[in-house]
Amino acid sequence: MSTTTAGAIAAPSQAGGKRKAAIIVGLLILLLVFPALSLTGVPFLQGLASQANVDVIATTISYALLATGLNIVVGFAGLLDLGYAAFFAIGAYLYGVFTAFQVMPHWSGFWEPLQMLGLVQKMSIGGADVVHFTLSFWLAIPLSALVAALFGVLFGFPTLRLQGDYLAIVTLGFGEIVPIVFLNADPITNGAAGLNGIQAPSLFGYSFGVNSVPYYYVAVVLIVILTFVSIRLRDSRVGRAWMAIREDEIGASAMGVNLVNFKLLAFASGAAIAGIAGTFYIAKLQTATPDMFNFNVSAMILVMVVLGGMGSVWGAIAGATVLSVLQFWFLQDLTNWIHELGTATGIGFLNKLDLVQSIDLIFGVILVVMMMYRREGLIPAVRRSPNLNFDAQHAVVHRGGFIGVERLGRYTVEQGNALEVSDVTVRFGGLVALNKVNLVVPSGGVVAVIGPNGSGKSTLFNVITGLVQAESGSIRFRGEEILGLAPHKVLEKGVARTFQNIRIFPNLTVLENVLIGEHARLSTGPVGAILRPPGTRAEEKRAVEWAKDIIALFGNRLAPRTAQTVSGLSYANRRRVEIARALASRPKILLLDEPTAGMNPNETLELAEQIKDLKSLGLTILLIEHKLDVVTRLADNVVVLDHGEKIAEGPADEVRRNEEVLRAYLGRGAGVSHAA
Amino acid sequence: MLTRRNTFKVAAGVAATATLGVASGAHAATVVKVGIDASLTGADAAAALRVVDGAIMAFDEANQLNTVPGVTFAYEKFDDGTATAGQYDPAQGAINARKMVSDPSILAAVGPEMSGVGKAMSPILSAGGLITITPSSTNPDITDPKFASIYRPADNHAPVYFRTVTTDAYQGPNMANFFAETLKAKKIFILDDSGAYGVGIANAFEGQAKKKGIQVLGHEKLDPKNPDYTAILTKIKSLSPDSLYYGGVTQAGAKLAKQSYDIIPRVMKGGGDGIQGADFLTAGGFPAVEGWYCTIAGPHLAGTDAVAAFTQRYITRFKIVPDDYAITSYDAASVIVAAVKQLAAEKKPITRASIRSTLLTITVPTLQGPVAFDANGDIKSRIVSVFKIERDAKKAVNDESQYVYIGQAPQA
Amino acid sequence: MTGFDLFVQQTINGLTLGAMYSLLALGFTMVYGILELINFAHFSVFMVGTFVAMGALQSMGIMGQSVILTGLPLVGVLLVALAATMTVCGCIGMGIERFFLRRLRSVKGPAQMITTIGISYILSNSVLLFIGGQGFNFPNPIPMLKYHIGGAVMDVRQPLIWAISAVLMIGLTYFVQSTKLGKAMRATAQDPEAARMMGVDVDRVVLTAFFLGSAMAGAAAVVFGLYYNYTNFYIGFDAGLRAFTAAVLGGIGNVPGAMLGGLLIGIIETMTSQFISTNWAEVVIFSILILVLVFRPAGLLGRVAPNKS
Repeated sequence: MSTTTAGAIAAPSQAGGKRKAAIIVGLLILLLVFPALSLTGVPFLQGLASQANVDVIATTISYALLATGLNIVVGFAGLLDLGYAAFFAIGAYLYGVFTAFQVMPHWSGFWEPLQMLGLVQKMSIGGADVVHFTLSFWLAIPLSALVAALFGVLFGFPTLRLQGDYLAIVTLGFGEIVPIVFLNADPITNGAAGLNGIQAPSLFGYSFGVNSVPYYYVAVVLIVILTFVSIRLRDSRVGRAWMAIREDEIGASAMGVNLVNFKLLAFASGAAIAGIAGTFYIAKLQTATPDMFNFNVSAMILVMVVLGGMGSVWGAIAGATVLSVLQFWFLQDLTNWIHELGTATGIGFLNKLDLVQSIDLIFGVILVVMMMYRREGLIPAVRRSPNLNFDAQHAVVHRGGFIGVERLGRYTVEQGNALEVSDVTVRFGGLVALNKVNLVVPSGGVVAVIGPNGSGKSTLFNVITGLVQAESGSIRFRGEEILGLAPHKVLEKGVARTFQNIRIFPNLTVLENVLIGEHARLSTGPVGAILRPPGTRAEEKRAVEWAKDIIALFGNRLAPRTAQTVSGLSYANRRRVEIARALASRPKILLLDEPTAGMNPNETLELAEQIKDLKSLGLTILLIEHKLDVVTRLADNVVVLDHGEKIAEGPADEVRRNEEVLRAYLGRGAGVSHAA
Repeated sequence: MLTRRNTFKVAAGVAATATLGVASGAHAATVVKVGIDASLTGADAAAALRVVDGAIMAFDEANQLNTVPGVTFAYEKFDDGTATAGQYDPAQGAINARKMVSDPSILAAVGPEMSGVGKAMSPILSAGGLITITPSSTNPDITDPKFASIYRPADNHAPVYFRTVTTDAYQGPNMANFFAETLKAKKIFILDDSGAYGVGIANAFEGQAKKKGIQVLGHEKLDPKNPDYTAILTKIKSLSPDSLYYGGVTQAGAKLAKQSYDIIPRVMKGGGDGIQGADFLTAGGFPAVEGWYCTIAGPHLAGTDAVAAFTQRYITRFKIVPDDYAITSYDAASVIVAAVKQLAAEKKPITRASIRSTLLTITVPTLQGPVAFDANGDIKSRIVSVFKIERDAKKAVNDESQYVYIGQAPQA
Repeated sequence: MTGFDLFVQQTINGLTLGAMYSLLALGFTMVYGILELINFAHFSVFMVGTFVAMGALQSMGIMGQSVILTGLPLVGVLLVALAATMTVCGCIGMGIERFFLRRLRSVKGPAQMITTIGISYILSNSVLLFIGGQGFNFPNPIPMLKYHIGGAVMDVRQPLIWAISAVLMIGLTYFVQSTKLGKAMRATAQDPEAARMMGVDVDRVVLTAFFLGSAMAGAAAVVFGLYYNYTNFYIGFDAGLRAFTAAVLGGIGNVPGAMLGGLLIGIIETMTSQFISTNWAEVVIFSILILVLVFRPAGLLGRVAPNKS
């Protein structure tokens, strides 16, 4: 049954995919033939494909490039960057300074090898031999990508600890600083007056000069390549890691995503694209002044991304296109059209209307209206979830645990203890959250931690998984110290967890959530993601198969919902997704934080059976649970925490009768008789 | 340089055919269309409007008075400001230049307002053989023969970027001479407004001031959008200069005038044509602007009846007070009208090329005096007139007569 | 002037500048504290405020710097201008919240922020179109009195600005700390959901925050106009950006933090101009901000919220 439903879901999306592909190919063909319209001899088409309009599109594509890059930073990774124009400026000035008639050191033998490479020319000004830099445009493109990426890492580094709007203000600061540095560095940049004579690119001896057609084609090639790169990154381990960070940083790091590396990678990728855009833009314009890269530009690129749909590659392009065409073309010419209309219709009022000065005003109105009535953007990133049929909506309640649990394979039970927590103390300011707690989980065993709210259970999980720091103590996993390791390192060792208040990634699908669980077990990096060599392809295929296997364990609770975003799932199903995600990471120990919370008795029973299945396969489990019947059913050993201290330990039945435990649960001074 | 020259041949070739088409078309036509480019969106919008209005007025008046019998002037406004840039946008300037070049009915242009835009437009206009006359962009690089292969690559480096204002290369140095010789300045502090015009004129001033033996205590940039200059003025005060030179426009200038009046009232203060105009008087206000020296890049016209009449007509029509660049813009348009008139009188075809060649020989009486161009397109007159602001209580605060003519600045 | 005099003089300058940044920063911080929203429209509300104040003063017959008042008439005129500007700005702020942002409040992501950028465009360009883009001579009826402190000079307007700012900030602090609505405001800032469940009218709280924040921008506008005697349609941007920086530096969402941040930014700006160069003032401001945030991610007076998991 599950296969048929999966097929039913896949069918319409494939048809949609074909239509989408047809639209893209159609647009691309249109883009490629557009300048050729000027050769048709039809006056209207010639006017349409005039040098000016070709330039409008080339400039528009420059902004589409920028929006594509910023979309990686803001849309994919969720890092709000308000100073993005800084990287645009760096790419622009890199090419500008090394081709303009500005920095011209005295000629010496040092430059001769560079001259042979065509990077410099010997020129004579007023009798003195000087160096004129002639960096090739084609070399400058990768170079500025690299340099901008380095600056992306440099500027990203101080922001790593910051979240949300603090990040925004720091990036805004860098965005302000960079143009000022260019303004004040007169000898290198010619300051406010701007660079003179930035070299036009040339190809096979043909210089582009001021003809806008070759620039147009370079722009088309660039946007096609970078859109491709952007999509490949999005649909890969890298893109999933970024989106996990965007959705929930803590959840992402607990699932093995190295926050530092992937945030910096996002900054670097975004910056690299801006660097490329800068070099292209400035080669086309052949002059550069620092105030071309002010805050306004950063804000506008962000607006393009948001308008198009955050996280949507096609949206970023659409946003940039709409805003640019509106500004560079439509609003500029609107007044003329209205005047013509006025002349044609004889309405005098239209003849006098002048909108040129109102462009900014109209622009503001458009922004506000879009945000009020269509804020998901022109092309939203979140796909609408396919509708479920009747069978899929009505779960078949299974008794007897997972379906086909043997797919998971047996876990090897080792000698001795899997986890040893010794004398761990955690303090939050003056509050002692955990006080010299000791706990042992034998390999292949199930240990439950119980205790009233605020007793330190979740803190115990957090300190084991590296989310909070311990003041003292030791945590050994399979004999290895893991205290002090970053959360993603802990996961790599084989410690996976779920959270009490569920930390799945709400705007991603069930499949994507589970795939992120596999993050640490996969190795695809950005280069592999873009080029997709056979090894990467095979890895991705295996990853998806494994994720589907895991999802299938939950039967038709999850399987029909594989392609749905998890925000729309029921509470119990979200818990299941989180457990599936943890299992996908191939853990050696599973930490479950109140897995049955919020579930009805039937669902609780079902989950308890499933956990039992895992136990029977030999998986080591540490469990926080309030429902004592679940604890009794599953746990070999129970640890009771209260006010950060371990107050009891032993088999479930024994602990249940412990007077101190009852007091802790029912309040100090409460009599035992009340509990009965 | 040789390679660079070759690179432009192709583009020039493309454009040449376009110009040919124009020539045959324009012969029969009696409508001469002119493109007017300014930064109508963003921070410079107010000034841009005056520039555009100045040119529009010249063309409309030519039509009304039938200055050139048989020829009607039409114009199209182009806005090089964008919301993305929040101000002038060279990329939009380039697009506008291409629009003008590819519109065969456009035979000449007025603008742009900003040098940054001019640098992007000039090579494109050159390839299209379309001249423009800028009323306000003063960066010398664009017309400098040194950069001819960059900014006018086509048609054997024929000039394409004409100006009805002097470049910073003259206005600044002449004023430095005036400071040294007439005002006997010994120690000066220089400020600019970080803009292309301001930095250019202030740098040119600084160079000549040093030559003249004035001790330059410092040269710093003001952020024109920042309201507060008290800190830098306090620093200047502590250096006790006898004079201050400001290169820039009213934006920072008015705030500077106000705050320097509070902090360094006794220091001699001066600037360029950026602070010559009603805006500076209105926004700066008396007594803050009292005693400021400023220049215009041209001769002062004794008995400015023409200017007064122009001002009156301008106010009547547009309900705003014209500034210096409204006048240079009116002059730029008048020069185009005069060139067309001469061509019509000589019964020559009115084309982009013929307008250009006429501009190189013609001398036109304008509001700022006779205007003629040198081989690079720069205005021939190197005269820089100096004014001092002195309150005349009988006149309106923003009346041009608040600027008292002192004399011509010594030529550099 | 001795080095010390110079230092005193620049401190006076910096404190004056800082007092204005503080007033402006309060609006950012109040809105951010409750909605976690960077309100770019605040820049333009401030700018509109300078025009409202100018109009108010001119309608009372104060033109340029030619009409000088003393004593009670001066106090009266200033109070009327202050009250009018604060009311109008406060109402604009409320309007922005009520008619635009409220409908987006439950929306995650930057939709609200983009809306404020849009509103900012609308406000500043409306002024450009309907009032004009040139600089305006802001009227000033305050007599030009100067006090000498050693070699340093203090303009009478400087202590006046400090006084106005101090009174408003103390009033605001009192309001937030001690009144019922102020407490509701703090509760909402902590946890809007819990506050709502405890019977707090969250809509009213948010509206009040916008009113107060924008009214503070109005006060800043009056003070700004009186001190610089100048305004223009884009004057809000640089001042707003620095004020926002000040709010973050102090710890955004934190009222005393905004005051401290504002004063610090003011002092840093003047000291940089004095001892380094005015060319680099903005670079120094943002560098210090970045350094502070790297070592104290929640700002000087802000508290780092413990991770909830």
